[in-house]
Formats: sequence, structure tokens, C-alpha cells
Amino acid sequence: MSKTRTDGFKSADALPESAREALAASLLSLADNKRILGMRYGEWILGAPTLEAGIACSAMAQDEWGHARILYATLKDFEFEPNVLEHERPADEYLNSELLDEPVAEWPDLLALKLLEEERFHFEHGRGWAMRLGDTGAGRKALEAAFRKAVGPCLRWFGRPESEFGRQLVDAGVVSADADELRRRWRDRITPVFAEAGLEIPESGEADVVEWDDWDADRRRAAGGALDEVTLARIRGDKNRSMLMD
Amino acid sequence: MGHLSGERLYEIFARQKREDRLEHIGTVSAPNPELARVYAWKTYDEATWFEMVVAPRDAFRSVNRDEVPFTLHPAETA
Repeated sequence: MSKTRTDGFKSADALPESAREALAASLLSLADNKRILGMRYGEWILGAPTLEAGIACSAMAQDEWGHARILYATLKDFEFEPNVLEHERPADEYLNSELLDEPVAEWPDLLALKLLEEERFHFEHGRGWAMRLGDTGAGRKALEAAFRKAVGPCLRWFGRPESEFGRQLVDAGVVSADADELRRRWRDRITPVFAEAGLEIPESGEADVVEWDDWDADRRRAAGGALDEVTLARIRGDKNRSMLMD
Repeated sequence: MGHLSGERLYEIFARQKREDRLEHIGTVSAPNPELARVYAWKTYDEATWFEMVVAPRDAFRSVNRDEVPFTLHPAETA
């Protein structure tokens, strides 16, 4: 593993071409996932099991939207037009995980998304609820089903083992770990929570449980599907725009 | 505030600067301390806190009154 350059890069232009493209694709994938994850959180503000959980969903939705806006703006340095990224793309150009294609139907499924989060308190929210629901047989069953569904797409998101994509960023010194190492770190973080809540999630076990058959490397997700049209119209702000005057 | 069975009330204390004193800023209901921390942080996010802590209400011992601690403010009992 090469070391991250301590002197850094002054601008996106200073990056080697291949690393610049790989980094832009990563940022866009993060931005799209955050933008849509925020929508999925937002859809639970009124349906959460307690008032506190609903408030937390609302605050977390805002966190995600804030991150997404910053990331879209950053992509300007990579010759993207943030306005186009945010308001003019069709569903199949979004780089979101298949887990976010449709609104989240059940509370345990939303918790599964939270555990997959990098943000500390979002992760803790998933963890706290996993412990609570893990207390009962029915809760444990529902959680297991939700996590077993979510783990595969998340393990895949980091990319194929030894993928060109990850190597380019490691070699350029932009990131310190390749796809396999990131996958390992994520697994190390998530498996203690499963153990703590008494959940059996075989999908989180070994690297070779990850299925690559329907993997779309460009969109970093399962091939084919896309975000639902209702959510698409909302995140693009289609209705807001129709009210603009010339 | 919603108080489901199996939940406890947690009291939240915070300060914005190191030199400030911790102040009682509110209460959340939660099934475990982990969720109490999350709810406290996400509900009272109006400031950039230097420090925030939570403790279950029933951990507090009244010193000078017979009522349970955190007796309601007169305005809340009206």
C-alpha cells in the first residue's frame, strides 16, 4: 500500500489524468448516494416509531443534503457543471446504490442504511436501534432480513478486488487504501454491531461472498435499475423550476 | 415528549466553549444510552457544542427536595 501524499495536490488539475477521472467518479457517486439517502431519511420523519427518531431522521436528511451540495460544487473543479448534475440528469445517470432506488418500506430497512453510513451519529443511530430490536425474536428476524439484503450491495460499492479504479487513486496518493482494504475496514466496523445485537449475517463474512455477476462498474451498482421517477423529480426540483419566471 | 414502554428519560447537559459551565439544555426519551446520545446530538443541534453529555434521569438524587429530580417548571404544570 502506498502512502498518502502529505504535500497534497493544489488543485484537481494537478492530478494525473486517470486519477482525476477516478476521483471525480467517486465524488459523484458519494454525492448521488447522499442526495438520495437524505430523501429516504426524509420520508421517515413522520413515520418513525418515536418522536425522537423522527427528529433524528430530519436532522440526518439535512446532513446528507448538505454534504451532497458541497460534493456537487466540488465537481466544478473536475469540469462538471454542478447545476446540470443537480437538476438535469435522467435517473440512469445517477450513481446511486440499488438500495436507494425505491422508498424504504420498513423501519428495519432504514436502520440497515444507517449502519452503512460513514457519519458517526448516523451509524450510532443504526447501532442503537439494532440493539433495541435485537432484544426480541421478531425484531431480530426483521433486522436480519434487512441487513442481509443491504450488506452485499455495500460490500460491492468499494469496487472489484484490485480494480483499476481504486488502484489509480492509491497510486496517485489520493487515498491510502484500495477497494479490498476499504471493504475489510468496513466489515471490521460492522460485524461487531451484528454480534452485539445477536444477528447472524452470513453475507458479511468473507470477501468471496460478494457477487459480481450484475455489477456495473461505471455506476458502482447493480446493472439495469435506477432511481424511481417520483424521487427523481423531487431531487431535481422539477416542480420548483416550472414555477420560475423568465 | 413521547415516552414508550421500555424507554427512559435522559437529561442532556452541554456547553459551547471549554470555559463555559455545563448547562441542562433538555431531555430525550430513548430505549438505551446509545440512542439517547444520538437523539440528544441530533435534536439539540442549534449550536456547535464543545461538550454534550447525557445521563438517565433516574440516576439523579435529589438533595433538598422530596419530589423526584427535575421537578417541572411552574409553567409546564399549568
